[in-house]
Amino acid sequence: MIDPGKGHFQAVVSRRESLSPSCVLLSIERPRDFPEARPGHFVSIRVAHSIEPLLRRPYSIMDLTGSELVLLVKVIGKGSALLAGREPGDELDIIGPLGGTVFPEPEGGEAVMVAGGTGLAPVLFAARAWRNANLHLVYGASCAEEILESIVREGFASTHFATLDGSLGYHGDAVSLCAELVNGGKVGGSYLYSCGPKGMVSALEAGLGKRFTEHYTSLETIMACGVGACRGCTVPTRGEKSPAYRSICADGTVFRAREIAWEDWNDR
Amino acid sequence: MSGNIAIELGPARFRNPVFLASGPAGYGTEYEELIDLERIGGVVTKTITLEPRAGNPGRRLWETQGGLLNSVGLENVGAERFFKDKLPALEDKGIGVIVSLAAEGWDDYEGLLGAADDSSAAAVEINLSCPNVERGGMAVGTDPELVARYVELARKRLPDRAIIAKLTPNVTDIVSLARSAEKAGADAVTAINTVLGMDLEGEDSRPVFRRVSAGLSGPAILPVALDAVWRITRSVDLPVFGVGGISSVDDAIKFFAAGAFAIQIGTAVFYDHTLPERIVEAFEQRGLPARN
Ligand SMILES: Cc1cc2nc3c(=O)[nH]c(=O)nc-3n(C[C@H](O)[C@H](O)[C@H](O)COP(=O)(O)OP(=O)(O)OC[C@H]3O[C@@H](n4cnc5c(N)ncnc54)[C@H](O)[C@@H]3O)c2cc1C
Ligand SMILES: Cc1cc2nc3c(=O)[nH]c(=O)nc-3n(C[C@H](O)[C@H](O)[C@H](O)COP(=O)(O)O)c2cc1C
Ligand code: FES
Repeated sequence: MIDPGKGHFQAVVSRRESLSPSCVLLSIERPRDFPEARPGHFVSIRVAHSIEPLLRRPYSIMDLTGSELVLLVKVIGKGSALLAGREPGDELDIIGPLGGTVFPEPEGGEAVMVAGGTGLAPVLFAARAWRNANLHLVYGASCAEEILESIVREGFASTHFATLDGSLGYHGDAVSLCAELVNGGKVGGSYLYSCGPKGMVSALEAGLGKRFTEHYTSLETIMACGVGACRGCTVPTRGEKSPAYRSICADGTVFRAREIAWEDWNDR
Repeated sequence: MSGNIAIELGPARFRNPVFLASGPAGYGTEYEELIDLERIGGVVTKTITLEPRAGNPGRRLWETQGGLLNSVGLENVGAERFFKDKLPALEDKGIGVIVSLAAEGWDDYEGLLGAADDSSAAAVEINLSCPNVERGGMAVGTDPELVARYVELARKRLPDRAIIAKLTPNVTDIVSLARSAEKAGADAVTAINTVLGMDLEGEDSRPVFRRVSAGLSGPAILPVALDAVWRITRSVDLPVFGVGGISSVDDAIKFFAAGAFAIQIGTAVFYDHTLPERIVEAFEQRGLPARN
């Protein structure tokens, strides 16, 4: 468990950059006393001071420098739309950094990182944190417009894009592209890292998990408390006792992909 | 300072009448870095059962307008671990605690009360109202006679502890449940647990939860909770812990005006964890709000 210590902060938006039709990069002035954070940690934001939407919204830390906290926000509903609409000078009510586990650095220094959509955020944070590592990025999105090319230029030994409609890079999903690259000997390493939709990560583990010493994945689900209290954000894991639920917010966000009981992790 | 706002219930004494509700507050320690738990009256700990429970499969949370549906299904570490690790972690720091217990059948209940009897818990809340489990919970708590039987046994096994019965609003007449609890010797009742609710999603309008019905909490249920507190306090001579939708100091004042003896805050802690301390501060300055 890596708990950086969490706090409650009022932080000011310093920059807002529209990256694609659905995604916005929000830079926030790092509040004094905001603890250090590592890839896999997240913050939880009260997007409106009303009861609509009610709960805080969780966002992975995409970067944390001495002066800035950077988030990648995709608009999927009312909360994310409010957050993505925040302008420089606006205040945000934040708790964080949250999360009990983070991506460990790769053994041997070479690794493959697979990101789907905004799963890119913790992957970019890792790439910025491990400057000496040889990291290969495999990144998938729906179409060319949603590939956030401008923010993935630095920090990787190689970058590989997949779009579902074939409008940029590989025509297909990130998992199929990754399999092709790994099988062709074009990318490799000791560890595999991933963050993205549940279907992407489980397919990745099923297809390529055994080719790496470890597959670490940062998971997401709907959350309420964000601190391990409410037991609302659980994921079924393999263990002596089955089912064994662990909370994504406090026992994660990062898990070994082989520990997750993917077949049992359903909405219903 | 308007002075002392401490409260007493049987042998239990608390700094003030502002508590975190059972469930949202976990075992208390999860919120330690964000809430000063020594400032508030205390924590009603996550309901425990005799044996550990894994909780419900599938989705457990779903937001609605001004509300939250949950189907956690009483995931908990079980009595043994709770009394060995979790309770001492709070008591050692001087944090007020009410221990929440739920039976999964009668034999089970005997064991659970035995474990509570061996512990230092001064106050116990019997959860007769969880909507998210098959046995115990609401299945017991909707029947006034069963409520009486469960409270009676707690009274007998824990003669020198404060016994609080937590009631479900999912009945025609919550007052009759409170009356049963009073006759059976409860020291107080808590009203309310979550209100049954559901939601549908997708183009094919499927229920969002595997169990279909779930428990609604948050601002959306405040009027239901306030009404329950008002009616119970006008028919039954027991202190009432008011809970349901409290999300501002003004909401808290309403519950005392309706007759509450103390309040508990659940869902609001998720989005505004400073609220319990702000309420305490307001009460310390102005004194406890008067009953209407
Ligand atoms: C640890 C963590 C890190 C995250 N990091 C990022 C990030 O870096 N960038 C980013 O854009 N998003 C991230 N998310 C997702 C983000 O929190 C949600 O997109 C946001 O909360 C949606 O809020 P909303 O009000 O816009 O959507 P709502 O209106 O609440 O929901 C719209 C639809 O999406 C579903 N939904 C909502 N949240 C989730 C979820 N977490 N998983 C699956 N389905 C969901 C809802 O059930 C609903 O069907 C992260 C989530 C978690 C848990
Ligand atoms: C996620 C969640 C879990 C809960 N778990 C419990 C529980 O274990 N035992 C219990 O007595 N009540 C439980 N409750 C109900 C609350 O204690 C409270 O009665 C209810 O949520 C209404 O208050 P609120 O609107 O302030 O949340 C839970 C509520 C939520 C939202
Ligand atoms: S969101 Fe409450 S336990 Fe994770």
